[in-house]
Formats: sequence, C-alpha cells, structure tokens
Amino acid sequence: MALYLYLHFPSLQCDSLADAETAGLPVAVVDAQHRIVQLNTAAAQQGVKLDMGLASAAALCHKLHLLPYQQHQQQAVLMSIAQQLYQLSADIALDEPDGLYLRLCNMLQLYQGLAGYRAALMAALALLPYQYYYASAATPLAAKCLALQRLNLLTEDCTGTDAALKRSPLSFTELEPDIQQQLQRLGIDSLGRLLALSTAELARRFDNRLVSYLGRLRGEFFHALDYIRPGPGFSRYLELLYDISDMAVLSAPLSKLLQQLQQQLERSNTLCHQLTLRLYCRDSETKSYSVGSAQGEYRAANWLKLCQLQLESHRLTAPVYGLQLEVTQFAPQQAQSDDLFQPQQGNVSALQLVSLLQARLGRNAVSGLSLQNQHLPEQASSRPLPLLQTRSLTGALLQRPAFILPQPRPLQEAVEISSGPERLCPDGWQLAAQRDYFIGRNSKGQWLWLYRTAQQQWFVHGLFS
Amino acid sequence: MSALLQQLARRQLVWHGNSQQAAYQAVSSGYPQLDQQLAGGFPSTGLIDIQTDTGIGELRLLLPYLQQQQRSGRLLVFISPPAQPCADMLAAAGIVLSQLVIITPETAKEALWAAEQCLQSGCAAAVLLWQVPLKLALARRLQLAAEQGAATLVLLRRPAAGLSLPVNLSLELKPHRQGLQLSVHKRKGGWPAAAFLLDMQQYWPALYPAADSPALPQRKAG
Repeated sequence: MALYLYLHFPSLQCDSLADAETAGLPVAVVDAQHRIVQLNTAAAQQGVKLDMGLASAAALCHKLHLLPYQQHQQQAVLMSIAQQLYQLSADIALDEPDGLYLRLCNMLQLYQGLAGYRAALMAALALLPYQYYYASAATPLAAKCLALQRLNLLTEDCTGTDAALKRSPLSFTELEPDIQQQLQRLGIDSLGRLLALSTAELARRFDNRLVSYLGRLRGEFFHALDYIRPGPGFSRYLELLYDISDMAVLSAPLSKLLQQLQQQLERSNTLCHQLTLRLYCRDSETKSYSVGSAQGEYRAANWLKLCQLQLESHRLTAPVYGLQLEVTQFAPQQAQSDDLFQPQQGNVSALQLVSLLQARLGRNAVSGLSLQNQHLPEQASSRPLPLLQTRSLTGALLQRPAFILPQPRPLQEAVEISSGPERLCPDGWQLAAQRDYFIGRNSKGQWLWLYRTAQQQWFVHGLFS
Repeated sequence: MSALLQQLARRQLVWHGNSQQAAYQAVSSGYPQLDQQLAGGFPSTGLIDIQTDTGIGELRLLLPYLQQQQRSGRLLVFISPPAQPCADMLAAAGIVLSQLVIITPETAKEALWAAEQCLQSGCAAAVLLWQVPLKLALARRLQLAAEQGAATLVLLRRPAAGLSLPVNLSLELKPHRQGLQLSVHKRKGGWPAAAFLLDMQQYWPALYPAADSPALPQRKAG
C-alpha cells in the first residue's frame, strides 16, 4: 500500500534567520501586497496573524521586524532541507514554495516500521530551526491537504486519515478559487461531500481540473512526483538580519554556514580543498574570496580559522548584508598514518601549516624551491608551490652562491678575486652576452659572485653566505 | 632566597651555577673544532642567535647542522631571506629541496607570526629568520613555541648592542681570510669562551684558497 508524508514549513524565510541574536525578536515576512505571509512565534504571541495587513500588524506590535518575501531564498532553503532529509528518506519531491513530499512506503522496511522512521525523521528535523507540520496519507495530495490543516498525523491506518480527509474544508485543497466558489454555491463545503458525488456527474458540470484533482486525491490517477537527486557541491546563502561592517563580527554567521558544510562533508565522508566565500555588500559590488587548504579539511573550526586569517588582511568598505558559501568539488577523505615510535610533535601537518601561512600572507609569499636543468643561474632555481615532490634530474653545480640577486648590480668596490673565471653563455651561444664569473671578497669580508661582461663591465650577481 | 631573586629566577634572568638540567641537547655542527668549543654542537631545539653581517659565511656554518635537522623528514623554513636562495648551492650541501619552504612576508610583524606558526606546528625542524628586530618578550614567546614544536629558530641579525635575549646559544661571527672568527656570547649551561677561528679551508676550497698554493692567481678587479 502506498504511503506518503507531506511536510509543511509555514515560515521558512523567518526561521532561516533564527539564531541566538534574533531569539525573542518578532519577525514577519510581507509580500508585495503588504500582507503578512510568514511570521515567527514571537510575532504570533503579540497577536500578529497571517494574511494580516501591514498597518494592523505594525499597530499590534511596534517592534515587528519586517522582511520582504524572496522567492529565490525560499527555494534555496527548501532545497537545503530536502538535501538534509535525503540522508533518511530516498524519495523526496519539492512542493514549492513551502512543502516536501516524502514517499514512505519503500522506506518502512529499512526503519522496521513507522515508529522507527518517525523517530529518525523527528530527530533530523529537530536539528533544523524550522517550524513544521506533517501528515501522512495514501496519496500525496491527501497528505498535503491534511498537513495544511496542521494535523500532525503519521499513521498507516487508512480509516483515521480518511475520516480526517472527509472533514477537511475545501480551502485546504488545491482547487482554484473559482471552482471552490462554484462548489460552495452548490452547498458543498467539505471534501467528504465532494467525494461522495460520482465522478461522471462532476465531469459533466465542472471542467477537468476538478476531476483530475479528485482522481489524484483518491489515488485513481497517477500522480507524477519529481524526486530530487542531490547535486554535487555545496552552496548556501545566509541573509543577515543586521548589516555587518566589521570583519570580526562576520565570523559568527560564517561559522554557522561552515557548520552546515561540515555536516554535509561528514555525511558523505569527504573533504574539500577550496571554498568560495561571497560577501554581498550594500551599495557596493560583491566581494569574493577563495580560501584554500592544501591538505583538505572538513572541520568547521579549521575552515573558520583559515577564513578569518584571509579576511583579516582585507577591509570592508561597505556593510555586508548577505553571505554565500560555495564549494564545487569534494574529495574523498584519506586517512593519514603517523609514525608509531616518533609521534608528531604538533597537531598540524605540513600541508595544513602551508595553508595557514598562505591564508594570512597571500599565495605568492609562500613557496618552495626546485632545481632546474639550466646552466644560467637565474633559471636554475625556480620557486614552485611549496612541498612539491620534484625529482631533480641534474646534479647540483658546485661553487654557486647561497643567494642570487634578483637584479645584478654594478660592482662599485675593490674586490679580491679568489677563483674563476667560469664562462657562461646564454642560449644560442650569443657571444656578445657571455659572462665570466668570479668569486671575490670585498673589504668587509663578504664573498661575492661577480661577473664580467664581454664589454669588460663588472656586476655583482650573488652572495656567498 | 629573597623574593627579588626568586622573581628574577622565575623570569630566567638569573642562573644557578649548579643547575645542569637547563643545558640543551646538542647536535653536531659538522665542524669538529666548533663542536669542541660548544661542548657537543648546536642546540637541537630552541633559539640560536647569530649576530653577523650578510655574506660572510653564516649560512655555510649552519648547512651541515640544517641538513642533519632535516633528516627527520621535517621541514626547513627560510623566512625573509636577503635575496633569492640558490637551489644549486643548497642541493649540493645535501638539503632536501622538497622539504624547504621559503616565506617572504611583507612586514616584520608577519614574519614573526609566520615564524611562531612554523615553530609551534611541530612539522618544521628548523626555521631561519633574517634581519627581524626582536624584543625580549617576543623572543621568549618564540622560545616557548620552539620548545613546544621541538624546533630550532636561528635568528640571523646584524651585531647589535642591547639586552641579551633569552636564547640557548648566542654567537657573533666576524669575517676572516681563512674562515670565520667566532665568539660565543652566551651558551646555556656553559661559560662564554674566548673568540676563536674556525678554519673553513678544507670544506670550501674554492672560497678560501690556501695561502701557500700558487696555483690560483690573485687578481684585483673593480
């Protein structure tokens, strides 16, 4: 027997703001017609009701915090809930803007009955800050109708749900207002009375919208649901209740996003190497930062540290009203093995250390060193990314200085030559550009690496240290 | 013991002549003559203060020691070196280049932060820090970080008068025709010794030609 559950979230956009700061603050969402469409419990306690006009709501509660309804954000929040519940239930379909269909019948065996499923689902929903109502029934539309009435039924027993369904007023159905009005004129005010009529009779009098709805409600017609598949990556947006213009304050909402990232990474047993943080600034262009970790991290605390280091070096020019965190690629976790007899001293690995340094100092400030197969000294040393395992093909040349000056500087002091010359010629044997290298010691006792050009000019190119 | 003396002892400003546990574990410097003078070699952890001019042989003095420190598979970190380090010279001295990290911070504050992070992490065996002014409190902090991560911090700075820093070993280097003139200013668990000459001729014959060999001509240039 088919069994569906409908989850109804009446105040998604309000609840997605919830944190310690906004606790106790009445918040409501208004649509374009200035009607209240969502409100939180604090606002409800003050007497604000749904569908109320803005003026009466403001008169009832002068501290009411209003937000404009944003369809895009509502969708994103609904999708994120669906992705979190996907760990529990295989078949989940979105019902925009504020509901989810869950197909239960194929999950009951896994949870050994409805009680086990219910416990797992309630535990998962309790972690989320959203208000919800639920109901189960044999068809998706019946479940939705019951959930909208906030009945909170979860049972395999058909008679109970049927009775409740028959009592439901027509306003909780998905029928269009003109059909509802027509039915009311006929004296039909509950779903039970509508279901009692024969379908053939109704089809003669009403158009096929009503027939199709009733067919899907009864389960006679096939109701196609578009079940979600979790996409790769992670993308969350967080709207701030207050504009933030201080980087340090930003870490509190950021850690909330990172916690969500950690949950997702933990579930899939993966980690990520790079995340993109976007700060939406008021009256200014969006700032985007990319934070990297060479080793790969999943812990929110480590990511927060890296983000903070990166943000510290920047200044906010405009207040931030929203944060977005995006990860496009996940990598599988790899266990690291430590030496049993020589345990590592710290709790940081070399790759983590490099990421930490790069986050604060910038990518270019941290590098490694590798030996290239080149005879010219300025090309022999290259500065690749740190900790790259490169196999050197060449033997190192002896008699090279410890430091090469980035720009050779003209020799301007007396030097005592102790060894040389060593003639180096640039590519193509350009004889005019050949250089004769010498090692010399100046009056201060410094050992210099000098060269003489074909034009008999002397330059200092390196320092023996 | 008076309260003042106790307070000074707690801040490690006075030493007991008979306390030997304060002495460090020594690692051979690679120069037998220097090992003898330093009673075993350079400290294996903690701060080493080297007062020197650039380019007189200070890195050459440290290379065998650094190579030995790196042997555990841990990192060697250069912070704000005076110019671009040369891969040929370091590889010839046996330094593993893939375990070398070069950091070029913009300010002295960032350099000190990077040094502390590297020391604390436990994955760096030795950190070389060039020409960064250091205060007493900061030196103490770096010393603690170095002990925590079992690492060495080598400070290379110009000869400077002033308060001595809380370091395990403090050396002053002066250039010499045959090598380096060393004087030990401070050594934990030991007494300062007279200045002595470290002969480098046999290690770096190209730089220090033997005075009696006529094979290499001496020329003046410039």
